[in-house]
Amino acid sequence: MAARLLYCAAAVSALAVLAILAFLVYFSLPLFQGDQLAALFSWHWRPLQNEFGILPMIAASLALAVSSMLVAYPLALGVCCFAHGLGPDWAARPLLVAVRLMSSVPTVVYGLVAAFSLVPLIRGASSGSGLCWLAALLTLAVLALPTIVLLLDNQFQRLESEIRLTAAALGLTRVQEMLQLTLPLSSRGLVMAAILGFGRALGDTLVPLMLAGNAPQPPLSLLDPMRTLTAHIALVVATDSQSAAYNSLFACGLILFLLTVLVNLGLRRIRTGATAHG
Amino acid sequence: MKAAIRVEKLSVSFAGKHVIRHLSLEIASGGPTFLVGRSGSGKTTLLRALNRLNECLPGCATSGQVELRLGEQWVDAYAATTNVENLRRRVGMVFQSPNVLPLSILRNIEMPLKVALSLPADEAEARAEQALREVHLWDEVKDRLSQAASTLSGGQQQRLCLARTLALRPQILLLDEPTASLDFKAAQRIEDLLLELKSRYTLLVVSHSLGQARRIAESLFVLHDGERIEALSKDVFQDRDALFSVMDELI
Ligand SMILES: Nc1ncnc2c1ncn2[C@@H]1O[C@H](COP(=O)(O)OP(=O)(O)O)[C@@H](O)[C@H]1O
Ligand SMILES: [Mg+2]
Repeated sequence: MAARLLYCAAAVSALAVLAILAFLVYFSLPLFQGDQLAALFSWHWRPLQNEFGILPMIAASLALAVSSMLVAYPLALGVCCFAHGLGPDWAARPLLVAVRLMSSVPTVVYGLVAAFSLVPLIRGASSGSGLCWLAALLTLAVLALPTIVLLLDNQFQRLESEIRLTAAALGLTRVQEMLQLTLPLSSRGLVMAAILGFGRALGDTLVPLMLAGNAPQPPLSLLDPMRTLTAHIALVVATDSQSAAYNSLFACGLILFLLTVLVNLGLRRIRTGATAHG
Repeated sequence: MKAAIRVEKLSVSFAGKHVIRHLSLEIASGGPTFLVGRSGSGKTTLLRALNRLNECLPGCATSGQVELRLGEQWVDAYAATTNVENLRRRVGMVFQSPNVLPLSILRNIEMPLKVALSLPADEAEARAEQALREVHLWDEVKDRLSQAASTLSGGQQQRLCLARTLALRPQILLLDEPTASLDFKAAQRIEDLLLELKSRYTLLVVSHSLGQARRIAESLFVLHDGERIEALSKDVFQDRDALFSVMDELI
């Protein structure tokens, strides 16, 4: 009975994913025919002139996700190394408690706080409105940091419970243990945390919507406004728009979907690799 | 008799619960000195108190004094000026269950040499081979040194762990039930090894096997519930019946 329920649940979720994919493909299919495609993959989003290019949004999504990971990942790794032996013992626990707390704050709160602290700061230092790639990047980095830290912390803890006493008995310091054993032995986990963090940054909607300025233009400068795929979908759906604009949203949705699938496939590859190598 | 380890009013507790209380004993250099007692009586904890490994476990508090003779010098293990990593290298410990690192066979021995002792690669390799020969493992592993250490059998892993500790050239060797997880033949090899090692190291061996203690121990301590430690004289524990009557109350 329980098994049957589980099968049903599995079937329903698989069907739901397939249905979403079919739905997205069905609605965006007309766009992939003829000259529509060239129009879709152009750098100009001008709905009033019937130009629905989504390249700026794709570029912005990727640029924001990659750049926020470039900030968040080294920071998260540093926090974890600090909490696992590079820093003093008394600091480790409060640090991880604080990070756990960070992960439970709703995204919109980060957006709000950044809008009233970070954005004016950037506005004061530059000429623009302050709503730009940089503002979204830094906020998204803070948002993704706890996810990565908790993943790495989990990984390090599991490994350390195995090697801590042995390393100590052999006369290794905590720093040597971290550099020679913990880090090299968790390389798979390090990559996984990076991929998961990237996926998280890619999928986030609120932060770019609230802070990135939403101008549909290629991301050329950190101080320029940008519009991500996620924010784009939210904006167009939320504002009154022509139906032609709606159609291009399905292409955006499909691309986001495929990117997420790619991220998940990458994770699966690493996971199955882990079991194959024991 | 020359002492090598002096323990004075040692108490160890985990999360406020005492495991060892006011224990004092003196262990002679050379040996082997055997330590027996019921399971849970605190034998492992006592060994770990000697090289300060308990500190790596959560909720542990230690008080009292442990002095170790390293070279010609007495070292106060718990003094603030004592370098704990250095101490642990010189007071080597082999755990009850083989604790190979998830590295290759060779790296298991070489890594601590290169990292903790900063030995150059060729010297580390030479020492690794020497240690593997010493524990009679070289012939079995010389063609598969780069394989994962976890592919070895239990007995081989135990000898690898011993080799890894020996390669660091400790002065005192703590062995926690070195034959507990081994079959008869593998246990026999370890026993032979102990007899070879006793001339060069101070050996302190926790054992659950009275027969083994009778065969190779120079002196023997019985630990009762972490509180009372009793030294048995050689003529008592060499006499099978006398030994078993003393041990009866333990079982
Ligand atoms: N890391 C630890 N945390 C909490 N309690 C421990 C720990 N290690 C040992 N103990 C407790 O100390 C007692 C003695 O353990 P141990 O020294 O392993 O005994 P033995 O080696 O004689 O079997 C046991 O009751 C055990 O539960
Ligand atoms: Mg034990």
